[in-house]
Amino acid sequence: MTSATELPAPAPADPGTGTTGLGTSPLRTDALPKALGIYPYAADLWAEGLLWGAVLRSPHPHARIVSVDTAPALAIPGVHAVVTAADLPPGPDGTPDGAPAGPVTADRPVLAAGVVRHHGEPVAAVAADHPDTARLAAAAILVEYEPLEPVTDPEAAFHAAPLHPDGNLLRHLPLRTGDPDAVGAVVVEGLYQVGRQDPAPIGAEAGLAVPRPDGGVELHLSSTDPHGDRDRTAACLGIDPDRVRLVVTGVPGATTDREDLSFQVTLALLALRTGRPVKMTLTRAESFQAHTTRHPALLRYRHHADAEGRLVKVEAQILLDGGAYADVSAEALAAAVAFSVGPYTCPNVFVDAWAVRTNNPPAGRMRGEGALQTCFAYESQLDQLAKQLGIDPVEIRRRNAMTTGDPLPTGQAVTCPAPVRALLDALDTTPLPALPLDDPEADWLLPGGPGGAGDPAAVRRGIGYAVGMVHMLGAEGEDEVATATVRVSGDHATVICAAVDSGQGFATLARQIVQSVLGVSEVYIAPVDSDQSAAGPSARGRHTWVSGGAVERAALMVRHQMLQPIAADFGMSVELLTINDGKITSYDGVLGMPVSEALEGRELWATAQCRPHPTEPLDPETGQGDAFVSIAFCAMRAVVDVDIELGAVRVVDVTVAQEVGRALNPRQIEDRIEGAVAQGVGLALLENLRTEGGVPVNASLTGYRLPTALDTPDIRIAALLEERDVVAPFGAKAVSAVPAVVAPAAVAAAVRAATGLPVGRLPIPPEDAIVPV
Amino acid sequence: MEHGGNLVNRTIMLPASVDEAVEALAVTPGAVPVAGATDLMEAVNAGRLRPAALIGLGRITELRGWRYEDGGTAVLGAGLTHARMDRPDFAALIPALADAARTAGPPQVRNVGTLGGNIATAAPTGDTLPVLAALEATATLARAGAVREVPISHLLTGLDPLRPGELLTWVRVPLLHAPQVFLKSTGRSGPARAAASVALVLDPARRGVRCAVGAVAPVPLRPLEAESWVAGCIDWDARGAEGAVLIDPAALAAFGEYVAGACVPEGGAHGEGAGSAAARLRRTVAVLARRALGRALK
Ligand SMILES: Cc1cc2nc3c(=O)[nH]c(=O)nc-3n(C[C@H](O)[C@H](O)[C@H](O)COP(=O)(O)OP(=O)(O)OC[C@H]3O[C@@H](n4cnc5c(N)ncnc54)[C@H](O)[C@@H]3O)c2cc1C
Repeated sequence: MTSATELPAPAPADPGTGTTGLGTSPLRTDALPKALGIYPYAADLWAEGLLWGAVLRSPHPHARIVSVDTAPALAIPGVHAVVTAADLPPGPDGTPDGAPAGPVTADRPVLAAGVVRHHGEPVAAVAADHPDTARLAAAAILVEYEPLEPVTDPEAAFHAAPLHPDGNLLRHLPLRTGDPDAVGAVVVEGLYQVGRQDPAPIGAEAGLAVPRPDGGVELHLSSTDPHGDRDRTAACLGIDPDRVRLVVTGVPGATTDREDLSFQVTLALLALRTGRPVKMTLTRAESFQAHTTRHPALLRYRHHADAEGRLVKVEAQILLDGGAYADVSAEALAAAVAFSVGPYTCPNVFVDAWAVRTNNPPAGRMRGEGALQTCFAYESQLDQLAKQLGIDPVEIRRRNAMTTGDPLPTGQAVTCPAPVRALLDALDTTPLPALPLDDPEADWLLPGGPGGAGDPAAVRRGIGYAVGMVHMLGAEGEDEVATATVRVSGDHATVICAAVDSGQGFATLARQIVQSVLGVSEVYIAPVDSDQSAAGPSARGRHTWVSGGAVERAALMVRHQMLQPIAADFGMSVELLTINDGKITSYDGVLGMPVSEALEGRELWATAQCRPHPTEPLDPETGQGDAFVSIAFCAMRAVVDVDIELGAVRVVDVTVAQEVGRALNPRQIEDRIEGAVAQGVGLALLENLRTEGGVPVNASLTGYRLPTALDTPDIRIAALLEERDVVAPFGAKAVSAVPAVVAPAAVAAAVRAATGLPVGRLPIPPEDAIVPV
Repeated sequence: MEHGGNLVNRTIMLPASVDEAVEALAVTPGAVPVAGATDLMEAVNAGRLRPAALIGLGRITELRGWRYEDGGTAVLGAGLTHARMDRPDFAALIPALADAARTAGPPQVRNVGTLGGNIATAAPTGDTLPVLAALEATATLARAGAVREVPISHLLTGLDPLRPGELLTWVRVPLLHAPQVFLKSTGRSGPARAAASVALVLDPARRGVRCAVGAVAPVPLRPLEAESWVAGCIDWDARGAEGAVLIDPAALAAFGEYVAGACVPEGGAHGEGAGSAAARLRRTVAVLARRALGRALK
């Protein structure tokens, strides 16, 4: 028996031995309704007497708006309102400026005022009594444009006339550390290009706005940042934030922010203008125009290494195409710079990175923004070095791998677990997939797919490795905070937390946390709206950390309230009581009381906040600074078959080793990794929203190629390493972004191994995988 | 005849026979036939088509199967679905058409998409089209009181197009009882439209090779000279002999180049970018044609 003095403080959220709580894999409660098609999304909403909204978008990537004539639209029977930039609060000089807003810089108008800067930019909107009438009316609005020369080449943006009063340079971030004159025994150079990946959410943008009697508006949307969206919407409408309420509906897929601000504000404006509920759903083609994409990137790298392959110096120039508006380009650039060398140590690093404005579709947040683009480049460089030096690609990575305590090139010490070598070693504990040779009887799926042109004689197999990293939570001094309330009444608990379950499984996790801390099995997760306390956006793996941390804290406070009277009765301190499997037990085994008994007739509640340690901006001259709270790492092995005559690639297998801190819900982690790998494979081989002169040419699900089950490999988890991150709640790291960051690099490495070709572009065009005869 | 759908009353007709359908087309102004609707609804949803009336062909059972004629010809119903054509009994009959049907989109689409719809849509990437061109198939077009027979290639090139009010009823295909191959390059493993495709059929009775290249031009292209040249390179008499080599590998490769050269013009005139895109397409077609003939002669 343990004595009181030796007893550690109760481990918060005991792992538990039962079938609920942390460390188990309960099924998500939304899984079944979603599979059955009965889970309600915003597109399913209805209100009595609603009108339908439609948006008129610019057909030009860059043009001056000479005039807008809404009369023909208003003349159509059934049309209730037509709004333009003139209906939004005017700018500082008293003329319409489209009420610009943005997550970081307020530079993106809700409705274009005077100028359009990208194809599909909203210019006007209509509310009518039928969706077809609304679309017809939107098309009837007469806009006279004076087309301007679009700037579509990011390299040309530097010298082009400013496309916006804020200029074309969204951010320049240099990084200088070490000796610029250092030279290595070997030098490899590469130019790398990353295309435009679209989040292509399964459900297009949709929402319902209902005017409120107090002159405000209630928005029902699949928002992933309800408070941020409320505040920005209110600011654009020129009304008090208290008069805007955001009610979050089911989120039909989000690997980026949803929904775009223009959509929300326009919807609210139409409802306010007509005094009627207004519903708007975008078509698939519009959806491609409305949301932001991944940043296309151009990366030039030069790696110096010694004869053993140890990095001596890395030089890089990184250019991100931010598209027409700033969005989160500055943040993406910080990640690109800070992780420009990857999870390796290198004493001398010299980087210049720019994010520029063009007339291309605006780029924004998407799993591992910035970190993904550089991962492809630095991992390609390591493959080149390995080839040049005749070192095994895994070995060269092991030799350079960083470990806990090593510095990033930004000077920040990586204090969280960074078991890069262990991750690499874990991969090869999982056997390689069979070769057609091993099992000639099996019906092999050749590159090109079933019924394709694949010819076994032209197929080469390649195995590639990649390691990568991405930060969690907001960076560079962003205030990260979330609030949660836990209430217990009788035998069940309720969690009120405005963290949106965008599909990442936060609701399931919150339930598990409360089950673990309080021993109650029935936990209700309240739907999210902006009247609750803020929990911030669902992005950068924040919610596991900040919102999960807030839920845990609130639950621990309730636990204390629950146990205190019992402890007092028994004359012991609360710390000597534990809750396990719905039972309160004392250290000496004298007490064994079901939680339900302890809670009988009581109602307890507590509200708590979680705020991780602060970070600081990177120095604008040197790129130095402690900019990140924590970093996630992942290693991958990809196996591909390439038809070297046609350039068709099939990813056969992807094996993943990931550092998760602590596996709070192993099955959910596996699901998240599978989803992220599939998305990464999509970027590696298929997904590219192509533009010609700034105009997307494949903005449909026929033209934009998403991976199907046939394109997605077997995904196997070699290891989920659990080394607690001491500063993280539960010691857990976010899991969704880092596999998406690493997968494209791993696939590229495998194609390189199969073909012997350099592979410098993502997605890999077939011609880059054809071996010349 | 039934009148279906209370939603848009009298605008959807579901005839049960070819005669009823042809009659309905004749008397309903602006009526459009619809089979699997996999192409039609896409056009409607995109706002390119607003048919005044629809004539559903799904209940015309006679068009959903096939029959034989004169011993040497299969007469295929326009309502044959891709899924049906992919079944082993059909594949044994016209292997290349079965190959094409197998790759014409995802299963959901192939379950309802039809041969007639594929021909009427006449998309450059229509997968059955190069096969029909290589087989020198003909189509029966019916309208009230008149029936005519048109080579598929004339239909596709617009030499003799489908006229308003005409229904495509049957497709006549010679039964060649010899290997035939359809190969499609898409650059991915999942379902996709062809970047290029090649259909190749052997006609041993006439000692002929017929080939058509799909997706590289608005209509399938026949490299006639390459066909007749390569037919002369084949050791037809050795067919069926154990381990016989029917063609010199060098001739196979040359055939690929010949076909590609005939069907993909040099892109040089359009600047370097277009030139290299054309060069890539040529290489793809050459590989497909070489592999197709190689498989047919294996
Ligand atoms: C996701 C998706 C993927 C696809 N992939 C492919 C692919 O890889 N390869 C490919 O070839 N096609 C593909 N298609 C296109 C389509 O499925 C095929 O062209 C199909 O064969 C069309 O047949 P349908 O019966 O659906 O035609 P419908 O949509 O019913 O009709 C198409 C047109 O043909 C006319 N029509 C139909 N039947 C007749 C008739 N008997 N007489 C006169 N006119 C007629 C209609 O009026 C209409 O104009 C794809 C479609 C989708 C939606």
